Amino acid sequence: MGLEQYKGDMGMCCRCSCCKFIPMQQVQGHQFSTVCPSISRFDFHAYSGGGRLNIGTAMLGDSLNYTQKLLHIVYNCQMCGACGVSCNYAMDMEVQEPLNQIRIKCVLDGKTDPALEKVIKGLRKQGSMVPARGRRGAWAAGLKLKNISRDKVDVLFHVGCLTSYDKDMHKLARATAKILKKAGVNFGIAGDKEACCGGRAYQMGYEKDFLRQAKKNMAMIKKSGVSTVVTVCADGYQAFKVLYDKFGLKKDLEVLHISEYVDRLIKGGKIKLRKKIDMAVTYHDPCRLGRMGEPWIHWKGKKIPGDRFVFDPPKEYRRGSNGVYDPPRDVLKNIAGLKLTEMTRIKEYAWCCGAGGGVNESNPEFAMWTARERIEEAASTGAEAIVTACPWCEKTFNEAVNESGSNLKVYDIVELVESAL
Amino acid sequence: MALSKDIYAAFEDVVGPEYISNDPAMMPAYHQIQFAAIILPQNTAEVQAIVKLCNKYKLTFRAVCTGWTGMFPPDIIYLDLRRMNRIVEINEKNMYAVVEPYVITAQLQAELFKRGLHMNLKGAGSNCTAMLRGHGHLDQTTSGDDRNHLAIEWVTPEGNLVHSGAAGSVDEWFCGDGPGPSLRSILTSAVPPGVTPGVFTKAAIKLYHWPGPTKFPIQGTSPNYYLSEIPPNFMARYYSFPSVEKMWNAEIKLGENEICFELMGFNVSMVAANITTSNEEDERVFKQMNKEVQGPGFFVIIAGNSAADFEYKRKVLELIVSENDGKSLKSVEDPRIEGILICQCIRISASIRETFRAGGAFNSIPVMGQRDLTIRWAVGAGKAKEPLIEKGHIVPDGGAFFGWGVEQGHLGKTEIFCKFDPANPEAKEAVEKWQREQIKRAFDERYFAMTMGPQDEIGPALANYHLWWKKVTDAIDPNKTSPDAGALV
Repeated sequence: MGLEQYKGDMGMCCRCSCCKFIPMQQVQGHQFSTVCPSISRFDFHAYSGGGRLNIGTAMLGDSLNYTQKLLHIVYNCQMCGACGVSCNYAMDMEVQEPLNQIRIKCVLDGKTDPALEKVIKGLRKQGSMVPARGRRGAWAAGLKLKNISRDKVDVLFHVGCLTSYDKDMHKLARATAKILKKAGVNFGIAGDKEACCGGRAYQMGYEKDFLRQAKKNMAMIKKSGVSTVVTVCADGYQAFKVLYDKFGLKKDLEVLHISEYVDRLIKGGKIKLRKKIDMAVTYHDPCRLGRMGEPWIHWKGKKIPGDRFVFDPPKEYRRGSNGVYDPPRDVLKNIAGLKLTEMTRIKEYAWCCGAGGGVNESNPEFAMWTARERIEEAASTGAEAIVTACPWCEKTFNEAVNESGSNLKVYDIVELVESAL
Repeated sequence: MALSKDIYAAFEDVVGPEYISNDPAMMPAYHQIQFAAIILPQNTAEVQAIVKLCNKYKLTFRAVCTGWTGMFPPDIIYLDLRRMNRIVEINEKNMYAVVEPYVITAQLQAELFKRGLHMNLKGAGSNCTAMLRGHGHLDQTTSGDDRNHLAIEWVTPEGNLVHSGAAGSVDEWFCGDGPGPSLRSILTSAVPPGVTPGVFTKAAIKLYHWPGPTKFPIQGTSPNYYLSEIPPNFMARYYSFPSVEKMWNAEIKLGENEICFELMGFNVSMVAANITTSNEEDERVFKQMNKEVQGPGFFVIIAGNSAADFEYKRKVLELIVSENDGKSLKSVEDPRIEGILICQCIRISASIRETFRAGGAFNSIPVMGQRDLTIRWAVGAGKAKEPLIEKGHIVPDGGAFFGWGVEQGHLGKTEIFCKFDPANPEAKEAVEKWQREQIKRAFDERYFAMTMGPQDEIGPALANYHLWWKKVTDAIDPNKTSPDAGALV
């Protein structure tokens, strides 16, 4: 069915422009009141959630031809889901799903972005969304960690492409391993045999490549017998937790982000954060841990003919309500000396870091523009550091900080937890 | 009609290549219409330059803010005012704010709350431009329509720059009528075709005292926002009455006593829409509330400047309601629901939940005039909805209408709409027929419906206003560059 199945949803757009702003009740002033990086950067209505839905409707007809401008619109979006949250405050309609389908259609029609094509070629050849230089499991050298291919473990620590191959990010994997060891968790890694989760390929519209990775991962997990996957990457979390479930692949696998797992370990008395860290911080909700990380809702039904856009059985929408918002905050509150101040745009209406949806690769300038906006917002709280829970956010923020000359520090939550152990 | 390369280049020189497009992929995103070009000016000078080019090349244009409404002919120059989004000034002493067209009400209102001020909130919602003229939930105390526009910066259809009122004389915007030129009769709205030709590039908005918090204590995640506590000296209630007459009598008495911060003649279907987060829940809650009410009703927010002021207002409210046999809707007395409604009705106006969520469309007839008379008309229009409800063409709402007093009730607005699925041609046709018939009824009974038209038919009933208006627009727009107006949508 593809895009066609969302014809009714796309037709529901009333062009209210709410998709451009954080939910109206949460607007606290003129500054930091917008929510969509794409329309904020490119201004034409076509770059908003509503504009994209209207384009989706036109794509179902035969009057819209692919142009460079159309592809610019399609690929200059972080697929962060913020437009859908603001829309779904009031409306009952799918927003993010048709946007996914527009990209999938473009890829199927061979209308791709050259930078994304290159990334996907790398994925097909090397099994990674970032250039695979060296061994994937090199980060674990000397740690003597269990490996799910030979050891019986309860928990798989899925590290992710960026953390595995970017040496600057190895610290996140090593910190996570240290935390899990300290808590006595029987965990293992896949090391060199770890496969990309496929989540970022899906964001870019490459559904088949995503599915190939998902099946590969689930086969490995089934063989290993692990019951829980822990990720340090928000993209990985969303892929395992939401996308694998969407395609019926997750089964009863428990998927946890490390921030959830650490929260559980602290509350269960398995670890204690004893060291004080005197620092004022603010927390950035990664899109795919927050609003996009809320569980998939399986539903199949038909529109009830008549006056309303309602279905039999009733359709429950994913509105961003059930993302992972409190666990990382609870973890940070457990670190003595840490002062957490919230930004204006948080939780389900957080501003994206800029790296998602392939924008990091297809339009790095736009990714930086988006990250700079977040850095400015973080600095406005008076915080010394912005804490996130995803290597993609950390990487993008670090680049934005370096570029803008800001003195804001950037941390992943596992780095602070490791320091406080 | 495609622009020639030269003309396109002339516009491009004004805004730069990044802010003009005639790409066919861009058009469906806007209104599924092929415009000659979409242009995004960033300031008044650019608007002037664009308008002058339209005159030079005999092109027509329309300027649009958030773009929520509008019927657009093809081949026009579409001015998307999105980049003109600055709050120019908030003058606390003289109680006005000067804004550009793409400042939305939610942004300005949030800034005002920090300063103990607020503004009129239009029914279109806080997602729309703060410059929008119109009416809304707070009309009881903040008036509506052109009463809230002070001085205005206007680019005429020929590209000239006019500052009306005080801004035309001094660099202050406190009055629309002087000491500079008073153009109130030209910079108007109300009568079709709606609004003044040209582009309003800045407007001063009248501000009011805000007795509430600097921000509401919102808890929860979207769409389940609620208040952790009712702000001090605030209260919201919904009252139903045994008859329209008793409801109206209570409404006018409340206005005379000037105790309501907001008086919104909601029907319970709109209350249900506001407090629910899905269509299914809306339907369930409406059915339940409909059993609780005894007849037509209204929603009230009182807001005291002190505990004593609040207590006085509460007592007067309860006395007037009691004298008119009003009954409070228990569901709204629940602090969680009460808080949701206070925040919704002050910060959002909630019009999307009320109107679009159900079926994706609604057709409405707003009528201005004396509330007791227009309510009588609306009762008839509501009866006429019943066959459409029975046939399943429109969302069942009990034939309800709504409205509110303006300026404590000496004037009022009454409105009635049908919510339907626009993809259902039979429903669409039935709703349009209902709308035509009820507008005619309003016209025959000499009520002024804003959706009336065409001018040639209603003009004679309005002192031949249409003939004068045509003379005015012929004079200010000799090249007919802005024939459909629409400066403030």
